[in-house]
Formats: sequence, C-alpha cells, structure tokens
Amino acid sequence: MTFVVQSEALTKKYDGVLAVDDLSFTIESGTITGFLGPNGAGKTTTLRMLLGLANPTSGHATIFGVPYAELPTPALRVGAVLEATDFHPGRTGRDHLRTLSRAAGLPDSRVDEVLALVELTGAAKRRVKGYSLGMRQRLGLAAALLGNPDLLVLDEPANGLDPEGVRWLRDFLRDFASGGRTVLVSSHVLAEVAQTVDQVLIINHGRLVTESSLEDLTTHTTVSVRVRSPKITELAEALRREGLDSITTNDHALLVHNATSERVGDIAFAAGLAIHELMSETSSLEEVFLDLTSGESS
Amino acid sequence: MNQLRAELLKIRSTRTTIGLLLGMILLALIVIILTCTLSPIDQIFTEQDQVGLLSFGSIAGVFSALAGIMLVTSEYRFGTMRPTFLFNPNRSRLFASKALAGLLAGLVFGVIAEGLTFAIGLAILEGRHIHIALSGSNITELIVGSVVGTALWGIMGVGLGAIIRNQVGAVIALLAFGFVVENLVFGLLPSVGRFLPVHAGDSMLGFTGQHYLSGTIGSVVLVAWAVVLAGAGLAAIKGRDVQ
Repeated sequence: MTFVVQSEALTKKYDGVLAVDDLSFTIESGTITGFLGPNGAGKTTTLRMLLGLANPTSGHATIFGVPYAELPTPALRVGAVLEATDFHPGRTGRDHLRTLSRAAGLPDSRVDEVLALVELTGAAKRRVKGYSLGMRQRLGLAAALLGNPDLLVLDEPANGLDPEGVRWLRDFLRDFASGGRTVLVSSHVLAEVAQTVDQVLIINHGRLVTESSLEDLTTHTTVSVRVRSPKITELAEALRREGLDSITTNDHALLVHNATSERVGDIAFAAGLAIHELMSETSSLEEVFLDLTSGESS
Repeated sequence: MNQLRAELLKIRSTRTTIGLLLGMILLALIVIILTCTLSPIDQIFTEQDQVGLLSFGSIAGVFSALAGIMLVTSEYRFGTMRPTFLFNPNRSRLFASKALAGLLAGLVFGVIAEGLTFAIGLAILEGRHIHIALSGSNITELIVGSVVGTALWGIMGVGLGAIIRNQVGAVIALLAFGFVVENLVFGLLPSVGRFLPVHAGDSMLGFTGQHYLSGTIGSVVLVAWAVVLAGAGLAAIKGRDVQ
C-alpha cells in the first residue's frame, strides 16, 4: 500500500551536527499522528524535509508516494503550517490567502470559504498586523486548508494559544480527520495532543524513540516502580540482567518501567542489595513522555 | 502563469511598492521641475544638454530595483517564503515568476517616470521658448532606453534579493554599489566602469560622452548583467534550505 507519509532513513546534518539521524517511519491514511519530542529534538527539521523546504543530507521522504516537490499541485493534497507568524503585516488576511490561492489556481470564492471555516470573515479585510496570535494561527490554518487537502501537517500549532484556542483546534482536527483524512501534528507537550491523536512518534536528538499507538503507550508504560538503594548502580545492573530497564531520577532513585514492586524487591533480595524505598507508581502520560525523552539523553 | 498572477498580487497588496512608486514620482517631479525651470538657457541648449535633462526618468531604475529586492526579501523577512514554497515547490518556476513580476513592475515604473519627465520637461522648455534640439531618434532612444533599463533593474533587484536575502543588506548593497562604487570605478577606470550596470544603462539613453559604450553595446551589457544576477539568484533560491 502507499503510505500517506513515508520517511526512509532521513538524515540532516548542519555543520557536522546531526539534527535528524536515520529517521524512518510511516503514516497511514485516516490517522492523527502526534509527532513529539522536546524542543530541539529535530521535529521541525524533519517536517521541513518532508515538505521539500530543506534537502536531507541522506535518506528520503515521500508524501502520497512521491517527494513533496513532485506533487503536481501540492496544495490540493497537503496543507501545512510551520510557523504561526508567516504573514506580511501590511497585507490583509484575505489578500494573504489570495496570493496563495492564485499560486494554486484556486478561485477567490475558495478564499472566502476557508475564511468562514476558521471564523475570520469579519477580520478578512484588516491588515494582519492588527491580528491577535489566535487569529494568526487560524489564518495560517486557513491557508493550509485552501486546497481542501487530504493531509494536514502542523508544527506546534498549540504554541501560544489560550485554552479556548486549544479546544477549538482539537475539535477542528477531530472534525478534519473524521472524514478519513490524515493529520500530522508536532508538539513538545504530549498533553496538548494526547486527547486528539491516535498514535505517537516520539523523537529525541533526531532519533526515533517510540512509534506506537496512544493506547500502547498508556497501557505498557504507565506502571513503574520507584526504588531507592545505597547501591543504585549495582541495582540497576541487576535489574537489567533480568530484562528490566530503569532510569535514574534527579533524587538518586531508580524508576523501573513495566515492573511490579514484588518483582523489583525479589531481584534486589536475590542480588543481596539493600532497599530504602520501594513504591509502585502509576505515571501520567506526560511522565511517560518525559521518561522516554530524558532517558535517551542520559 | 498562476504564480506570476500571485506575484503581481503580492506587489499590489502591500503599501511598499505603492510607496516606492509615489516616492519616485515625487522625486522625478521635483527634480525635473527645478532643473528645467532654473537652469540657465546656455546650459540646456544643446542636444546633449537636453538628453541629460530628460534622462532623469531613468532614476526609476533605482526604485524598480528596490521593488524587485522587496519582492524576494520581504518574503524571507516575514516568513511568507515558507507558504510560498509550499504552494509552489518548483523553485525555478517560482523564481522565474518573481523575475518576470519584477520586469513588469519595472516597465510600469519606467513608463511613468520617463512619461512624466518628458511631458513636464518639454512643456517647461516650450514655455521658456527654448528650442528643442532633440531629434526623433534622440527621443526614441531616451524613452526606450529608460523604460527597458528600468525593467531590467527590476529583474536585477529580484536576483540581488535572492542572493542576499536580508532586506536591509540588499538595499544597502544596491545603493552603495549604484551610487558610490560604480561612480568611483568609472571615475578612476572608465574603461572598466563603463561596463558596470548604471553606466551601461546610461549609454542606452543616448549619452555620447567619450567613455560611454554605444547604445547597442550598452543594452547588451545591461541585459548580460540582468542574466547574470538572475542566474545567481536562481542558483541561490534552488540551493538553499528554507528555515
């Protein structure tokens, strides 16, 4: 089958520094995918390469089976917003959209349709410099929707939005995807997208950390065990021999994923290691995300 | 064609280009009215004097080049290059549309500036009962040279903007080169300076000073400059990532 988005060993090097490192993933149609990672993880660089704005150092990416730049009229297949501020301040919102609709060969009537869709009809003839951040975000979205695309790519769309704006965006994306269309949305805060996405791609330092459904992420990693011991290194080693991964927290405890407190206690006893604290924790999704991304960096 | 329509709308939908156009008109009016009214008769009597007087419309070249620079650099400055590239990832076609839009804007600038200069300049000279020493071919050369030169400056502005990308940097580069560097080189080494774009453009207007190229060679040289700058601009647009 043809994937909506396919990234194969995508790599980008800036001045010898790997911004994106051998990144491979696929996105199927009809899904909302959260593209997650801390700031500087390489999310935006990846999106730029997917959309033909930046050339990969190696590897390649396709959208609907071809490189973005080879889509005949890309606006009719893909809508993307990379920055919420990409407007000439002295141009009206409507004229901004008209410059783009002309490039895609779309009529002005389509401009008025998308303005109504993002609830900007009233402000359409005002210059963008008078727009609030929320209005700019919606104008950006309107531009992405001009060609009635099948795939929407949004980079940190919730940045700077007030709670009402975040809710509006969430409803909007659900609505968009309910018709079998596809969304790829990046964020550095899992909570922003957790209620919206079906699956997550988590990257850190340019590498893929996790590719899973949101359900798997929740059920498989939310139970962890917090353990403190005077011999923390030895304990971590003993756990690893038993197939349990752990990370060291800031207060010198170990956080062991996918384990029960009984199992961790038994392993410590068998290894002859003293334990000062043993506690089962159900972490929130956000903690899971932080663990996954900070674990890679240490 | 769609992209060209988009670029022309970009020019019309902000106040920048209109501002440049009004600034040019104002400057042309002031200079032509003052020089034609105040110059003593013995300084505006000969054919070459009058060519010099009525060539002021070619100042449109500066404004046309600025408009071309804006057409590219304001897209980088305000980030609209991202949606522009997303809607048209074919960078060669995109750049060609911008260069063509710069050329068309330049034509408009050139026609307005030289038209004003001629209409007002000739009217004032007539009013002062000064004999018009210009021949028909002088007049054709002035009008065609000024309008074509101004249009070519529009393309050169687009090329320069694509190479430098920083708006202030590109504007300074244009003004410093056009008003300082060229005049220095022409003053010190006229055999080299006459091949530089401003002086090549002047030769298209019918100046016959000893160091000037002929009109035909001047045209070829200015077209070559436009081709070189456009080519370098295209290479810059194609080769660089968009941040």
